[in-house]
Amino acid sequence: MTTADEARSRTWPSLVGGRPRVNRWSVLALPAVVFLVAVFLIPLLAMTLRSVNDPPGAGLSNYQQFFTQGAYVRVLTNTFWIALLATVSCLVIGYPFAYLMTIVSGRVAGLLLIAVLLPFWSSLLVRTFAWQVLLRDTGVINRILLDLGVISEPLTLIRTTLGVILGMSHILLPFMVLPIYAVMRRIDPEFSRAAANLGASPATAFLRIFVPLSLPGVLAGCLLVFVLALGFYITPALLGGLKDQMISQLIVQQIQQRLDWGFGTAMGVLLVAITLAFLFAASRAVRLQDVFGSGIGED
Amino acid sequence: MRSRTIFAFLATTAIVVGCSSGGGGGTSAAPSSEAPASQPAASESAAASESASAATSAACNPPKQDGVTLSFTSFGGVYQEAQRKAWLEPYTALTGVKFTEDENSSNATIKSQVESGQVTWDVVDVGNDFGLDVHKDLLEPLDYTLIPKDEMNADLGITDYRVPDITYGVVLAYNTDKTAGKVPAGWADYFDTTKIPGKRGAWDYSEGGMFEFALMADGVAPKDLYPLDLARATKKLNTIKDDIVFWQSGAESQELIGSGEVAMTMIWNGRGWSAKNIDKKPVEIQWNQQIVTADYLVVPKGSPNKDAAMKFIAYASCAANNAGPSQYIPYGPTNTKSTANPAMVADLSVTNADQNSAYFNDAYLGEHFDEIDAAWQAWKGS
Repeated sequence: MTTADEARSRTWPSLVGGRPRVNRWSVLALPAVVFLVAVFLIPLLAMTLRSVNDPPGAGLSNYQQFFTQGAYVRVLTNTFWIALLATVSCLVIGYPFAYLMTIVSGRVAGLLLIAVLLPFWSSLLVRTFAWQVLLRDTGVINRILLDLGVISEPLTLIRTTLGVILGMSHILLPFMVLPIYAVMRRIDPEFSRAAANLGASPATAFLRIFVPLSLPGVLAGCLLVFVLALGFYITPALLGGLKDQMISQLIVQQIQQRLDWGFGTAMGVLLVAITLAFLFAASRAVRLQDVFGSGIGED
Repeated sequence: MRSRTIFAFLATTAIVVGCSSGGGGGTSAAPSSEAPASQPAASESAAASESASAATSAACNPPKQDGVTLSFTSFGGVYQEAQRKAWLEPYTALTGVKFTEDENSSNATIKSQVESGQVTWDVVDVGNDFGLDVHKDLLEPLDYTLIPKDEMNADLGITDYRVPDITYGVVLAYNTDKTAGKVPAGWADYFDTTKIPGKRGAWDYSEGGMFEFALMADGVAPKDLYPLDLARATKKLNTIKDDIVFWQSGAESQELIGSGEVAMTMIWNGRGWSAKNIDKKPVEIQWNQQIVTADYLVVPKGSPNKDAAMKFIAYASCAANNAGPSQYIPYGPTNTKSTANPAMVADLSVTNADQNSAYFNDAYLGEHFDEIDAAWQAWKGS
């Protein structure tokens, strides 16, 4: 099975680093390409143009305006910091969870899968408000601990970076677990057995055989979670403190209320550009089509 | 995955819009005989030449207009329902004009409709950050030969492009369980956590009123608030920084003060009213040093039913009808000659307005947004 997969992935044409031969089946991708160009690429171009031409002849003044505001730049860096924390948190929870799914019976794995997906099907807002109910000073957790006499003053759980990371991890966890699981369940158990035969302890076999083989899934999950996390702000706004600000909030404010679409689009372009830079950097470390191809397409 | 990003964005947008005005179920003020006499502003609009009385009678008695359909967009919920019952339904009965409604008023939607030439909204209820002179490319000048401008509360920032339709107040609310019998007298007490301990709620928006409240707490008279002394306000805000709990939506503010998670909060008076009267929580409003503000009616530039829209706005503005929503919610009239629901008068912002009340300087706030918001973000991040 593994060899078949590998053979397949070697013969399939791919956009990056694949063979130049054009497969005639690729015509099937045409609707998707048209769709992406129409609803993603063209608007993105229009947005970029607007950021340098609103007000007319703006040039880079909108970008200048952004970088002269120290407070806005800080929000931008904070956005990446929070996205990074959320990614690490999802990985720490998601990797063992995905591993558990691969070693239990099919039925239990199914239940675990549902456990990951169930909250995924309810609205982001509802889940964020639910966290508020749990975390706030008069919330469920503090009430129980106070009633049990464990604490005498409410713990500060909400309006902290911890609260933000909890809420975001909950929402983003499926994007970490699913790619990792998809890769893990295709890792041939014979490899670990072979390692054991050659004298490796279970821990060594896991660390030197299983973990490296699961890395494409880990990278896929991390990239997905990180990129998605960059666009958040509702969760940080509702669960975070004064400093847990994200750039989307500033963008919405400019687009929605201020109607300064030049400045708003400039911030949007900055966010997209920096995200692309991250993806590019990641692509130097690992072949992206491996990451996304093996991570998502298969399950 | 892209769609989730977009969803997060939309959800976000919805909250921001919800916060910006009507979402609050905020309250409005009734015109008070003690209210400062409205000085009819020297009219720049070419149209405002007819006498006020002629305007009033035409406004309250619109002609039959069978076959006309107007679109009306506001902020939804009980707020829009009150507007519907007070203005839309009687207007249909009187004139035959039918309405289609949207509940997602948004400045950005107006801008995109106008820019794309696909204007489908005729009458839109917007917050106090819109309808200013800087938005002249997006809006039709209102017909003040029909709309009784002279009767409107002149403190509410009337422009050629917007007329206020309901008033509400940004006020101090306190949870009586948490203040232990003490009554905060104004914003100085909000900033004094020694005198009355407890967390303080605040809207997480740079132009929502916190800079103004900090300055008032520091002794600045309401009439001297603008131009805002941001350094002084920031210094005052720093004194309670660790005690501030931000809220993002009217619903959240109502919950924070109702549950007692905060001892005091800045709040839209309608939300304070709901915490007390709907949720039955120990919540009271301190009207002293409130900021009186309004929602406004505007007509997007290129509206296909511009003339009919003007007639309807005149109807909703006229003395006989303007206070109608106060039958249902604590939002008061903007027409100084309109009489609010007696049962609601004590809970309206305008009725409680006095010399200590402040008014947003919307033109100033619009012009200096970038500077004010940068100061806000810097304060939060410091």
